[in-house]
Amino acid sequence: MKNSIQLSPKDMINAYLLFFVIHGAQVGVGIHGFQRVIYQDAKHDAWISVLLAGLATHIIAFCMIKTLEIYGSNDLYGIHQDVYGKRIGNFFNIVYILYCFVAFFSVLRNYIEVIQTWIFPDLATWFLSATLILITIYAFTGGLRVIVGVSFFSIVLALWILPLLFVPLKFSSIDSLFPILETNVGSILKGAQSMTFTIIGFEILQIIYPFVKDKENVRKHVHLGLLFTTFVYLFIMFVSLTYYSEGKLTKTIWATLSLFSFISFPFMERFEFVAVCFWMLIILPNLCLYLWAACRGAKRVVKISGKKFVWIFSLLIFIGTLFVQSRTQINTINTQFGHIAFYIIFVYPIFLLFVTMLKKKYTSQKEQK
Amino acid sequence: MKFKLPFKKKQKPIVNTSHNNKEILSPSKIDFIRSIKDATHSPADLMVKSMLPNLTLIYINNLVNDKNLNDHIITNLQNATMETPATIKQIIAIAEVNISSQLEEAITAIINGNVLIHMEGYSQVVLANVSTRESRSLTTPENESQVIGAQVGFNESLSTNISLVRRYIMSPDLCNEEIKVGTRTKTSLNILYMNGIASDQMVNTLRQRINDLDVDALLDSAVLVEMIDDNTLSPFPQMLLTERPDRFCDGLLNGKLGVIVDGSSMAIVCPQSFIEFFESREDQNLRWQVATFVRLLRFSAIFLSVFLTPIYVGALTFHYEVIPQAFLVPLSESRALVPFPPVFEALLLEFIIELLREAGARLPTKIGQTIGIVGGIVIGTAAVQAGITSNILLIIVALSALASFTTPSYIMGNVIRLIRFPIIILAGFWGFYGIMLAFCFILVHLLRQSSLGAPYMAPFYPPRFQDMRDSLIRLPLPYTAKRPSSVRATDQEKYNPEVEHPKKS
Repeated sequence: MKNSIQLSPKDMINAYLLFFVIHGAQVGVGIHGFQRVIYQDAKHDAWISVLLAGLATHIIAFCMIKTLEIYGSNDLYGIHQDVYGKRIGNFFNIVYILYCFVAFFSVLRNYIEVIQTWIFPDLATWFLSATLILITIYAFTGGLRVIVGVSFFSIVLALWILPLLFVPLKFSSIDSLFPILETNVGSILKGAQSMTFTIIGFEILQIIYPFVKDKENVRKHVHLGLLFTTFVYLFIMFVSLTYYSEGKLTKTIWATLSLFSFISFPFMERFEFVAVCFWMLIILPNLCLYLWAACRGAKRVVKISGKKFVWIFSLLIFIGTLFVQSRTQINTINTQFGHIAFYIIFVYPIFLLFVTMLKKKYTSQKEQK
Repeated sequence: MKFKLPFKKKQKPIVNTSHNNKEILSPSKIDFIRSIKDATHSPADLMVKSMLPNLTLIYINNLVNDKNLNDHIITNLQNATMETPATIKQIIAIAEVNISSQLEEAITAIINGNVLIHMEGYSQVVLANVSTRESRSLTTPENESQVIGAQVGFNESLSTNISLVRRYIMSPDLCNEEIKVGTRTKTSLNILYMNGIASDQMVNTLRQRINDLDVDALLDSAVLVEMIDDNTLSPFPQMLLTERPDRFCDGLLNGKLGVIVDGSSMAIVCPQSFIEFFESREDQNLRWQVATFVRLLRFSAIFLSVFLTPIYVGALTFHYEVIPQAFLVPLSESRALVPFPPVFEALLLEFIIELLREAGARLPTKIGQTIGIVGGIVIGTAAVQAGITSNILLIIVALSALASFTTPSYIMGNVIRLIRFPIIILAGFWGFYGIMLAFCFILVHLLRQSSLGAPYMAPFYPPRFQDMRDSLIRLPLPYTAKRPSSVRATDQEKYNPEVEHPKKS
């Protein structure tokens, strides 16, 4: 197939690092308060929604890898250009770049809001967004290796937070989960759809795929990464459902952070102050990967240098964060973005797989004649 | 975007030196003496000694060994008769004797401690090497002392240092290349590596980087490191400077490359990863449980040293909620009299500690210790009593200063102390958010670095689980039989780990 990406082994990464990339891209700001959104739909069966959403990611990842394998060494942008032709393909690419832009923006804005709500009500938005963007740019300019390194360290250095959730487990009651499947299936599925905003990020696979050295191991590590994410979300959802009393979850915007708030050590109380700040390390791979994905696309569509693109991108994001101020606005963005992302991430890849398979069949028939 | 300043890329215009180069020495005695004197600007210690019947000896007094000169040259010359320079060469009982007729060569030789023997009527001179170099005797390494292990350190003499290395590694595979650096000082430096272990590509890179240097002087290996490392702008050293021959040899045997510079007691080892700066050679000499404990202690010390004071500042300025109630009472009591905000208080104390350290380093050893103790106690107690600082901050600052000195590499310890200051300021302005900002920045910065092309964060990133066995922790010897893969060694295995276990008796 044409316009496939040829890279020197120096720029490539090992497949097992995909575990960290996928997981690092998925976990971000959504984890702070995904419980409320799903609880609204699925009530105490929300954990089933989480499980279903996790299952869906596996299926979609399977389709994505299938599509990518047809092309050997190409990313989504190249596939678009090949499948739909240059013009329409580029249109799809621009949509995807915009998607990355909005995803980056949404992560950044949500994190800024969490910081302003929980720790520094007076700290200016422009300062927070400027510092975060600068660090992202610094990591981005180091190249893919540095970005993957950031994802790796963000997971390894944040693993210690997970066992802390056993502390609230002491005060929880398993009875809140029963009776199982009380909510109807439609609501549970709707809850699973509401997981979109929290669970997306693994679409980065479509861009990073040509950079993987041993492509035969991609499948294994991607699915392991997705499995780990599902496990983490399921665990947090389980703790939240059993800890919070009925109806309390609908009023808690950042349920995970509230869970942290009474974890205390002999030398430290109010753990959420540390957690909220520490979350910077967890959202950093999100920001870097979306920026990187957008940059890859922009390079495909128009001839633009990475440096130039980054500054334009960051400037737009920076201006954007200044305009979106209130909680309602952010909430609207989250919901709308979740809806759009659902179609881009969970519906479109299946469609794309069909189109590529048809095209492949068509071209191979043509060649036979 | 790599922040690398090109170290003087500009090509120097080639000076036409052929006039000097090709100049032939004069057969006439007077002309010969004059030409040598002109070329060396007739220094006070230039000795010209005429011998019958027609010989002239010229040498620089402070560079030659008098005993060798008298016993092996002058005595032999007096007792024999000779017709040509070639016969002189045979008579002299010195190992390194050359014959040359070029002025340039003769001047280089005389500067290096040779004696020039000129015979009236011949343009060739005999160059006999009887040089001697002043150097101090071998002592224990002062900056990298250790309890268990060899107690010898490099000194400033290149030949002594190489003989020390050769004493540890008696192998014909130990390669030794000499390069001269510095258009004025002509400092000789030697690249050492193990053939068959070290990666050829890395040797080429290092050789290339040294050869590309265009500097006029090289006085110390630390300067050389700054000229040839990967990112000159980073505060983090990317090559190890060590004064321990055993550590140097350990590096060579692991497939690293070493550079010894004449006149410098610190040898360079590269490539070096970040984590290896915190490993001491002593860890290899201890049992693995103890070594692991010491290493973990050291790493937590580094972490404390960098983040303890900022966390104190951040918590006191913005996040009172984080401090447990029981601790809040003594904390507020000790701070009740302090008129400054925590960030200023912390910066002041850190500044005092750094002053004491710097003063202790500059003063003679004996006074330095007194100043350290008296200054520390007097200033510390007085500062608390005067109400400038709180007791608890004093403990924290002293603790982090103490912790920073556990770093086995002094140069890395300096960096650890330096990066504390910006983090304290960030914590003073933006609390834990500022600390985290600094943490992420340092993490990204470290990820971006490389050492001679090898990843700086190895073996953690890229993750190599086999190499991690000898990083934060140290597993028993059979588990660490492989060389670190970041050095790209030709021979990966140190030894076959599957040895038979000694029978239980």
